[in-house]
Amino acid sequence: MARFRIMRLLALRNLLSHKVSSAIVGGIIVFGTFLVVLGTSILDTIDEAMARGITASLAGHLQVYSADAQDDLALFGGGFMGNAEIGTIPDFAVVRKKLEAIDNVEAVIPMGMSLHTDVPASELDLAITRLRQAVATGDPGEIDSLAQQIRDMAADIEEEQNKTRAIARKEEQVRIDERLEILRRVRSEAFWQALSRTPEEELTYLDGKLAPLSLEGEMLWMRNLGTDLDRFAERFDRFELVAGELVPTGRRGLLLAERFCEDQLKNKVARDLDQIFTAVTERGQKIAQDPETKDKARRLPGQYRRVTYDISPEDAALIVERLAPLVGVGKNIEETIKTLLTVTDENLAAHHKAFYEQVAPHIRLYKAKVGDTLTLRSYTKSGYIKSLNVRIWGIYRFKSLEKSDLAGAQNLLDIVSFRELYGIMTKEKQEELSAIRKEVGAAAVNRDDAEAMLFGGGDALETRAQQTDMDDAEIFGADGALAVARAESDGFDPTQVDQGLALNAAVILKDPDRLDETRAQIAAVSKAEGLNLQVVDWQQASGIVGQLIIVIRIVLYVAIFIIFLVALAIINNSMVMATLERIDEIGTMRALGAQRSFVMGVFLLETLILGAFAGLVGAVAGAAVVGLLGHAGIPAPNDIMIFVFSGPRLFPAVGASNVIFALAVIFLVSLASTFYPARIAARISPVVAMQSKE
Amino acid sequence: MAANIWRHWKPRESSMSDIVQLNNVVKEYALGKTVVRALRGVSLTLARGEFIAVAGPSGSGKTTLLNLIGCVDKATSGTVTLDGAETNTLDDHALTELRLHKLGFVFQSFNLIQVLNVYQNVEFPILLQGTSTGGERHRMVEEIIDRVGLKEYLRHRPNELSGGQRQRVAIARALVGKPMVVLADEPTGNLDSKTGQSIIDLMKQMNREEQTTFIFSTHDPRVMEQAQRVIELVDGQITANGAQPAKA
Ligand SMILES: Nc1ncnc2c1ncn2[C@@H]1O[C@H](COP(=O)(O)OP(=O)(O)O)[C@@H](O)[C@H]1O
Ligand SMILES: [Mg+2]
Repeated sequence: MARFRIMRLLALRNLLSHKVSSAIVGGIIVFGTFLVVLGTSILDTIDEAMARGITASLAGHLQVYSADAQDDLALFGGGFMGNAEIGTIPDFAVVRKKLEAIDNVEAVIPMGMSLHTDVPASELDLAITRLRQAVATGDPGEIDSLAQQIRDMAADIEEEQNKTRAIARKEEQVRIDERLEILRRVRSEAFWQALSRTPEEELTYLDGKLAPLSLEGEMLWMRNLGTDLDRFAERFDRFELVAGELVPTGRRGLLLAERFCEDQLKNKVARDLDQIFTAVTERGQKIAQDPETKDKARRLPGQYRRVTYDISPEDAALIVERLAPLVGVGKNIEETIKTLLTVTDENLAAHHKAFYEQVAPHIRLYKAKVGDTLTLRSYTKSGYIKSLNVRIWGIYRFKSLEKSDLAGAQNLLDIVSFRELYGIMTKEKQEELSAIRKEVGAAAVNRDDAEAMLFGGGDALETRAQQTDMDDAEIFGADGALAVARAESDGFDPTQVDQGLALNAAVILKDPDRLDETRAQIAAVSKAEGLNLQVVDWQQASGIVGQLIIVIRIVLYVAIFIIFLVALAIINNSMVMATLERIDEIGTMRALGAQRSFVMGVFLLETLILGAFAGLVGAVAGAAVVGLLGHAGIPAPNDIMIFVFSGPRLFPAVGASNVIFALAVIFLVSLASTFYPARIAARISPVVAMQSKE
Repeated sequence: MAANIWRHWKPRESSMSDIVQLNNVVKEYALGKTVVRALRGVSLTLARGEFIAVAGPSGSGKTTLLNLIGCVDKATSGTVTLDGAETNTLDDHALTELRLHKLGFVFQSFNLIQVLNVYQNVEFPILLQGTSTGGERHRMVEEIIDRVGLKEYLRHRPNELSGGQRQRVAIARALVGKPMVVLADEPTGNLDSKTGQSIIDLMKQMNREEQTTFIFSTHDPRVMEQAQRVIELVDGQITANGAQPAKA
């Protein structure tokens, strides 16, 4: 005890009398501990936030999928848009039954992510359809206004084509010239005079020649997650319906993601205006500050036609009148909209508000809306194009992930429709197929032909759709909104949901803390029952972004490691220096009867005291900063971070484990860095005390 | 330790009062490729209570001799026996224990621990010994500091003291643990003659009062004269080893 007291005294006194080196070493330790506490606290909070966000929105706690998968399961943005080859779970019902028998398993929900396309009608398509109706009902006012709209659009396209021509190769120019010829004809007075004489001829020309040139009627890619919609909505806490209703049990249906609507379906002018508005109001930027925002704002007025096409003459008069106080009197609708879209830092708020109050209600703000029916197309596994009409019942989002494009990238589709689009045969279809085989003779029917017979209902249509050479009367519904290819039953037997294929399944646990244990149980059950499943946790399952956190953690640990390696080198070096400085003193102590262990003890104690003190200061500072951040929140700088933070802001909190970890690391580093100098010190001979030094 | 005493006890050459014996001690230092013979066959005996000077010109081997007696170094050949224990056979740990319990040191450059004050410096050896209680220690430290005349300076740091005062602290530190032998290598070497004399007087007084054996080296004839016995070294060999009439 007494010996320890003198050791402590010596250590303290040495620290105090070597202020500079103590300050340097202490400073490094303070910084290191600060960083560890701050870094691990934020990471742990992110982990928790992500865990809550991901598990409660899409992944569940565990995911199971085929052990034969070629790719890793990536629920969010991994692989090429979710078209990874993850194998199949052929009989979901069995998997559900076996897994739900495990005591900690709350629910098993079937899933399947796939890419589908839809070709929504372009503005031009719609105008032509309305023109056809107006011609049929013989409404001259309507015909005139639509004619004007179509000519405006043609002018727009012509402008684009001219621009393209300027940079195109020779062969390409020839094709562009053909298009320009069509556009010129449609814009001519003669063409519209001819319409009144031979309407069918001109309308067909518009459909056949002009419509395909539309800039807008591009294919829409959709990432659709086929699932048991009822149980999905019930089991995933973050699920939230924002418009429409849930798809009724036993009906086909789509729930669109809110972000998908905003990013993919919204009128481009409105979307650009939103983005400028967000940059200015939410991020507090000036328009000119960010090149992208600046560019958007510059181009916005030129896109006024994307708005005016949609506006009927009566509505136009109303809008002109209502907006006059804001944009000035005596303007026509084009000038009015153009002025409205000319935004500056000062007028942005007023113009944005006016746009949504006065203009938006009169235009088609989204390419599809609740109640519309989309024609989903997909390539089946055997290469055929399969199409299916599915009604949009509602719009959903994941709570607190509203702003994340990643989390909002997938729409929800009933799993029965998913299976059909996926092209795997249900039992009934298989039976049907074998019946056909018998009829035709097995040898004559290969699998593809058979599928063509079974699924081929849409083939003819597909071919046409691909060429965007659609027959409007057949394709567009009365509301003129979207494709209605075939009338087919949109109901099914609810028991079918579980019967059949899934690509993967989310497993929701009763007690998430027992995740590892349950994962092992599932693996065991899969093996015992021959389910051929692999089990991954939510983090692995969520794909590259979910694993981002693991990467961040590794980066942090490597950074910590490097910092402490440097600290170790510096502490080591300064202790060696201190040892050399203190050779006489150490020699004297040894001569007086101090053992080697005593000398080592003094050195170790010195770093431990310094480490403990500086470590505490660093930990307190780290905790204080985390506390401040936890109060204010760290804003997510971009979409990926919104996803990672599981919300627009992260509120970090310090846990005891963070502090303990930091102090433990400091403890080890102190010990490690002192070991070598302490050994040198212990080897100093007592003889040195006797050597005279004048 | 008791076993060691018997094992190395040599009745022929020693009497009960002999505490240090050197028998034909040779010490060589390797200096690059050459070998320096610092001691060339030194034999001598120190008895309890003696006050001995080791004299000789610079480089004659005085420090080397004290190092060997002081157990901070080992002989190349020959034996050094301290209180019955042959030091050549002991490891570092045992030698350190010997130094701690049986020896006291006074150095030419005082060698106080700079970061400790007078009290703590003096307390250091008995804290290491760990055989006394806090109360005992306190008494022992205060008493010895009082006796060396530094009662007023308990809380002073070494750098606040004069050279003579520092050497007094060193003597107090050497004596506080009740050693058998105090070794002092040129204890007055860094002091003026008047201060040096007062240090020699203090050592003499302690030798008388405590019966502690003192062996100190010096090349100053006036210091040498005050010893009971002077061992003269020249080129690593003893040229004279005899009692001299004590000066009153
Ligand atoms: N560590 C050493 N290495 C080499 N030679 C040494 C060492 N210590 C002492 N010597 C040599 O041994 C001889 C005796 O030295 P020393 O005992 O210090 O003499 P003194 O103390 O009488 O001046 C000298 O020649 C000295 O150079
Ligand atoms: Mg010397």
